Amino acid sequence: MLKGIPVSDGIGIGHVRIIKNKDVKFEDKAIPENEIDNELERFHDAVKVFCDRTDKMAKEMEKSVNPKEAEIIKGHIQMISDPFMISQIDDQIKTGVCAEKAAATTLDQFIEMFSSVDDELTQQRATDVSDIKKRLLRILLGIEEIDLGTLPPDTVIVTKELTPSMTTEIKKENIAGIITEKGGITSHSAILSRALEIPAVLSVPEITKILRDGDMVIIDGREGDVLPDPSDNDIRNYEKSKADFIKEKEYLDTFIGKDTVTADGYRKEVFCNIGNPKDGVTAVKKDGEGIGLFRTEFLFMDKDSAPSEEDQFNAYKKVAETLGGRTVIIRTLDVGGDKDIPYLDLKKEDNPFLGYRAVRYCLGHKDLYKVQLRAILKASAYGKIWIMIPMVTNVYEIRQVRGMVERIKTKFDAEGIPYDKDIKIGAMIETPAASLIADILAKECDFFSIGTNDLIQYTMAADRGNADVAYLYKPYFPAVLRSIKNIIECGKKEGLVVGMCGEGARDPMLIPLLIAFGLDEFSVSPTSVLAARSCISRWSMNEAREVADKALSLPTYIEVEEYLKSIVRK
Amino acid sequence: MVSKQLTVSNSQGFHMRPATVFVNAISKYKSDVTIKFNGNDVNAKSLMNLIAACIKFGSNIEVVASGEDEEAALDEAVKLIESGLGEE
Repeated sequence: MLKGIPVSDGIGIGHVRIIKNKDVKFEDKAIPENEIDNELERFHDAVKVFCDRTDKMAKEMEKSVNPKEAEIIKGHIQMISDPFMISQIDDQIKTGVCAEKAAATTLDQFIEMFSSVDDELTQQRATDVSDIKKRLLRILLGIEEIDLGTLPPDTVIVTKELTPSMTTEIKKENIAGIITEKGGITSHSAILSRALEIPAVLSVPEITKILRDGDMVIIDGREGDVLPDPSDNDIRNYEKSKADFIKEKEYLDTFIGKDTVTADGYRKEVFCNIGNPKDGVTAVKKDGEGIGLFRTEFLFMDKDSAPSEEDQFNAYKKVAETLGGRTVIIRTLDVGGDKDIPYLDLKKEDNPFLGYRAVRYCLGHKDLYKVQLRAILKASAYGKIWIMIPMVTNVYEIRQVRGMVERIKTKFDAEGIPYDKDIKIGAMIETPAASLIADILAKECDFFSIGTNDLIQYTMAADRGNADVAYLYKPYFPAVLRSIKNIIECGKKEGLVVGMCGEGARDPMLIPLLIAFGLDEFSVSPTSVLAARSCISRWSMNEAREVADKALSLPTYIEVEEYLKSIVRK
Repeated sequence: MVSKQLTVSNSQGFHMRPATVFVNAISKYKSDVTIKFNGNDVNAKSLMNLIAACIKFGSNIEVVASGEDEEAALDEAVKLIESGLGEE
């Protein structure tokens, strides 16, 4: 079995068709002076044909895929129409260079320029220019373009890289899967295969050499697996998972646009965890009802100095506006000695997870923290933003942050800067200390959000990354379950909104327990929204309480895990 | 010749879509329009050169216009950049 990057969900079973996208060969011939005008005309005609065809492709694509992807193709017309590039090519032809050579040389220069820039988006444009070059050369040479539209059903396309022009011709009902040698999760190949809803695995080394036309192959777009030459048994197994996948997807799609409710009508909410403003768009697309965890570290990573208030404000405002009035919970900076951010002067520590991090670090660097709090408060005028404090262990931390926020509010009032006067401030509950004093914290917080990943690690005193103690890193230990129960109950007693933003919130084995304890908001990755909503809908409060009682009565995690496995509903 | 220094304020900088918006608007002027960035003079009417320049969010640039309608060209260029190049 071969491994690649899974970028588009689903299972594909079919026959390989290798799509060669190698450089188009042309003869480099000199043009005599009396034919130069003809050569110029030939070049300009080719550009015109290119634009006409591309425009047609874009229109097709708008219909069959979606307008956003069509824009990638429309961009090709804009690029080739650059008058300065055209005149650069003209100038070469005027010296007696043939159209093919002149165009190829100039476009190669831009490919080189784009790919040498240290910026992913610009590097991706190099793929576009290379696609333009090949198609323009084919037009000049009178070679037909690869016709992907005529591929038979159950074809698995195998190619170095999927180019935008290739995808426009694809008939998605005939294509079972896509495998490429290049590209990651944000590449054209990935975006386009997701838009076409074709299972895809990218970056499988040498795959165009390993597979041959007509070979049988299975691809699993969830795991990133490519299985060449499968046995009958493999095919039967994957046929079954494919059918299950399709059935499950159809079932989950029935939850789009629906409220999240338990079987007996208790209203819950499924939120999303995001790491940058772009994810906010995905969260809305995937039907998230809010943002339960907006990690702000991305603003601070890969930089030479701390982000300005303006930069931060723009990012927070963008997400608030994207969510259009739905709640956005912003977690303030959560860094420590395990991260390498030079300008923050984070010292290497023996125990970074027990060290100077998160709110501890921020309260020790109030100038830096103030900038973030100001930016969040400013952005709160543009939507519904809540502030979440990470790694709280005592009430004093909440009071200090509240004090800072109040002072900023007074300043804003004096300066006439708008903000949400009722902005909620809450704690991320992820330490045993916070769990043990949840009743006290509840009196000083507006909301709780349980971070299960760290809560388990700190409660079980088991390093997440250490394989020898990995068996301890599980939510099914009675200690963890009791802790979660206590946090939710203390929060609810004071009338707080209580959410959960770790992996636990999407675990179908834990969901009945969380319902029974009274959790309000389940924050999951955007792709898990519908699965979580569906799972919640399968439980009534009474059934959930029965399961919770039983689970809490079991003395070992093995029994708990086994029991919860036996009652799972999706 | 007229010019103005400013900072790019849209999150994508001069990437494909914003750069296209910019080039299409500026191309209607007769004046030469150049963006000085990182020690290079980038032709503001050339989409390909603009993309290759990789002008990002927060980049400090100088827009220079020179020709018969230079004032109007500079004015529109500055307005476009300050308003975020059509980014939503």
